[in-house]
Amino acid sequence: MKVKEIMKSPVETISPTENTKEAALRMHDKHIGSLPVVDNGQLVGIITDRDICVRVTATGRDAVSTSVKEVMGKSVETCMADQDVNDAAKAMIDHHIRRIVVVDSKKAIVGFLSVDDLAKTSHELASKVLEATIPIH
Amino acid sequence: MKVSELMTPRVESIEPTTTLRTAARKMKELGVGALPIVENGKVLGIITDRDLACFAIAMGRDLNSEHVSRVMTKEVVSCKAGQDITEAAKLMQAKKIRRLLVLNDDNSLAGFFSVDDLVRGSHDLAGAVLEAAAPVH
Repeated sequence: MKVKEIMKSPVETISPTENTKEAALRMHDKHIGSLPVVDNGQLVGIITDRDICVRVTATGRDAVSTSVKEVMGKSVETCMADQDVNDAAKAMIDHHIRRIVVVDSKKAIVGFLSVDDLAKTSHELASKVLEATIPIH
Repeated sequence: MKVSELMTPRVESIEPTTTLRTAARKMKELGVGALPIVENGKVLGIITDRDLACFAIAMGRDLNSEHVSRVMTKEVVSCKAGQDITEAAKLMQAKKIRRLLVLNDDNSLAGFFSVDDLVRGSHDLAGAVLEAAAPVH
């Protein structure tokens, strides 16, 4: 089975110069926990609800004057839409992550694949991904 | 297999009058994503890193003065430490959640039981919980 058959698409994104309050608001409104950060069509990072909790709420920074690029994670793992789901799962296992951005050959974002999506195809595959991640309880 | 064999025991808790900022700082320091709110030995609610981003920041709450009791989820879904993991998994599936608070027989706090703990006991049960959970990507 190919990644594109089970990935979520389209994907909500945010720009690096938007502020973190805007990011939190978008995550709230869209019921999502992470946003790929896109600058001129290029994937430059990813920001999660946890990043906002530990780097804004916990620190005393002002959310409106803190930009997304100041708190985002800069290394983002990607896979291709027509890759096999087993390969995408292996990439998640190797990098200890539970979600991966799906891109096309021009590096444009076409989807998002999470361990939940994998579970719909294979409980075994999803479980191996979960076991490889470092849990945050 | 019993929940007590796989759960994460000795959970830290906070008081209802803890501020949003202090709660976020505690989650950061402890590397956890959720904290139970306990008063006089009784669990009143639970607050997550997501609440501290999506509610606290998105809604522009005053992080230094507002108490967690204003933002916490009051309907805490729990299981007992002596319960079978199959029953706990069924409860997570029914409620579309991936983490349960674990209580002792006297209703005092025993720990947390998440899908990350469950996966170490059964791939199939963990897969089913992920599949049922409301996706937050």
